[in-house]
Amino acid sequence: MGQVTPDSPSEPTLERLLEHPAIWRGRSAARTATLGTGCRRLDDALPGGGWPAAGLTEILTARSGLGELRLLIPLLATLGCELPARWAAWISPPFEPYAPALIAAGVPLERQLVVRTTDPAWAIEQTLNSGGCAIVLAWFAATTHSSKSTQLSALRRLQLATQRSQVPAFLFRPLDEAAQSSPAELRLFFEPSLEGGRLKLLKSRGGERRPLDILWSEWRKLNRYESKQGKPARDIHDQT
Amino acid sequence: MTRRERASSVTRAFRAPRRPQPSQRLQSLPIPQPTQRPEPLLLESLFDSAPESWIALLSQPSLSQHLPQGEVEVVDSVLLQRLASIAGGFTSRVSLEPPDALLLEVRGSFQLFGGAQSLCLQLLERCRQAGVELRWSLAPTPLAALALARAGGEIIVLARDRLAGVLAPLSLKVLGWPAHTVARLDAVGVRTLGAALRLPRAGFVQRFGQQTLLALDRLTGAAPEPRRMFVTREHFRAKHEPGFELYAQTMVLQCLEPLLLELEDFLRTRQSGIDLLMLRLQHRNRPPTRIDLHLASSELLAKQFRELLALRLSQLELLAPVQRIELRSGPLQPLVTCSESIWRPGEHGGAVGRESPALIERLRARLGSAAVYGLCLIPEHRPENAWGIAEPGVGRTSVPKLTSSAMSRRPLWLLHKPEALPSALQDLQIVEGPERIETGWWDGREVARDYYIARDEAGAELWVYRERMPPHAWYLHGVFG
Repeated sequence: MGQVTPDSPSEPTLERLLEHPAIWRGRSAARTATLGTGCRRLDDALPGGGWPAAGLTEILTARSGLGELRLLIPLLATLGCELPARWAAWISPPFEPYAPALIAAGVPLERQLVVRTTDPAWAIEQTLNSGGCAIVLAWFAATTHSSKSTQLSALRRLQLATQRSQVPAFLFRPLDEAAQSSPAELRLFFEPSLEGGRLKLLKSRGGERRPLDILWSEWRKLNRYESKQGKPARDIHDQT
Repeated sequence: MTRRERASSVTRAFRAPRRPQPSQRLQSLPIPQPTQRPEPLLLESLFDSAPESWIALLSQPSLSQHLPQGEVEVVDSVLLQRLASIAGGFTSRVSLEPPDALLLEVRGSFQLFGGAQSLCLQLLERCRQAGVELRWSLAPTPLAALALARAGGEIIVLARDRLAGVLAPLSLKVLGWPAHTVARLDAVGVRTLGAALRLPRAGFVQRFGQQTLLALDRLTGAAPEPRRMFVTREHFRAKHEPGFELYAQTMVLQCLEPLLLELEDFLRTRQSGIDLLMLRLQHRNRPPTRIDLHLASSELLAKQFRELLALRLSQLELLAPVQRIELRSGPLQPLVTCSESIWRPGEHGGAVGRESPALIERLRARLGSAAVYGLCLIPEHRPENAWGIAEPGVGRTSVPKLTSSAMSRRPLWLLHKPEALPSALQDLQIVEGPERIETGWWDGREVARDYYIARDEAGAELWVYRERMPPHAWYLHGVFG
């Protein structure tokens, strides 16, 4: 008695073991918890069907203000309606976030927290570890050649912190950093086009390789009313 | 047996050990310092219980008599304040009697502290711990308590009908009346309170005035005595002079530790918190270093203050060794307590409650309070005035009608200051516009602009405007991020 036969259903088979979110095999999409982007085609292109719910996402652009922030506005609006109320932290943004536009996009102002600092890595880590933040947006200035290794270790720390706290962090970085290795969960390159933008996944765990052209008109019009009544804000595609 | 006799026999039965009669005790002035404190004498009656019971605390003059005149007053007032804050732990009705006495009304606290005797002993114990030796007594009226304390009696009189008997043998000097009044009374052979109380009232008023009679009435409780109550200090202030110079931040922190614990104690007894803490480090030949700690929510834990001060101190370079540390609190605020969350922060998606203010405090401690802010909307047409910096978490939730209806597209990013563009706009392609904004003539910052949405050669959408006034310059004001 007490013998477990090899084909018993309670025995973990290889397939079941491989479903673990920490295991990712080659080209198959990683099974991770994700957050809906608000754009169906972008959801399909991203591994797991959305932004990583925990982990660093790097968005690389030629310069700031090309439209990359608009990718995240639907997510900010959805997270802004979640309870309990948590901050959305903006760490060293390049300009001032403009309140009327945020309100018009359905982003609640009372949950936005702007932090101006010359040491964004420290502030990001604090916000992630506090448990009081739902999302962290951060802008990294271009690094000098000598500080690249320190930046890499800082990024590694941040990646660990996001996974521990289960809070997504989005880093906006200049395009010249694309050649550097990064521990981020997802890296994408964004460039604007007419009425939309072109996205290219530089690093992802099994996402779409071809560049994706999206139009702003495709994005689900998100306002507070809809997201409050609609489907739950946190799409967890894979329950483990 | 009359009612009075029966009452006093009951009282006698209550007195467990045999004691000297009150008159004998009170006449042996001054009382030598007893090595062990005997139980105070308790005079009460079953049938007559005064509505109020006042304790008079009289500080011993020994401490301040060697100091020059000006300093005596300062020392006394500081001492009284300290005594009053101790007394605040026993009753909320505390009244100062400068220069050297404190009066507490404690009737309502008997139940809590296990009776009058127990309360007095606990109060004295607290005072002794604070290093203050006192003379004291308890009586149904404040003046009587004061008179008994001045006469040196450690006595508890709970019943009004026992009061006259206790007061009768006391000298008139204990009342602190003007010397000529006492001298005139002495001249007519009145030397004790009992004798003064026996004088006919009409004649007494004629000779010594209404005020003197009123004082006698107040002494016995025949006339009420309204008193101004002491309001506890609204600030905490403490300093520490270690006697040697502190040249490292860690040493400063170590010396701060007892002050912070004292602060926590101070706040806890008042059930309040503070959101501003001021630290001053004094150097020998330099102006003092000041650190103002602004907290996002009111706080009382020493641990929290220490953590934040450590962060601030680590940012600071000590230019000279520190000789003295001063700590001051901002105004006290009622403490709002809330439950701690069951999960650790970050666990199960994290929890808010205490975490969010703590985050802001930590960020502000290192980056300065201006570096961490929230956003708010202001109903204004001028784009640069339509938003404002707010305390995090208090942004306006309701959208003002003006902006939601009258607004066309607005950029997600606004530049700190409009940036002048070269007048030739070859590389910009106008997509939308113009939207005319012409307002603000009433406050001298008038704007008259035509706003356009333009696209540059990289494909980014920009918010630009052209001044309506000559020279019609072009400016970049926002970016549609």
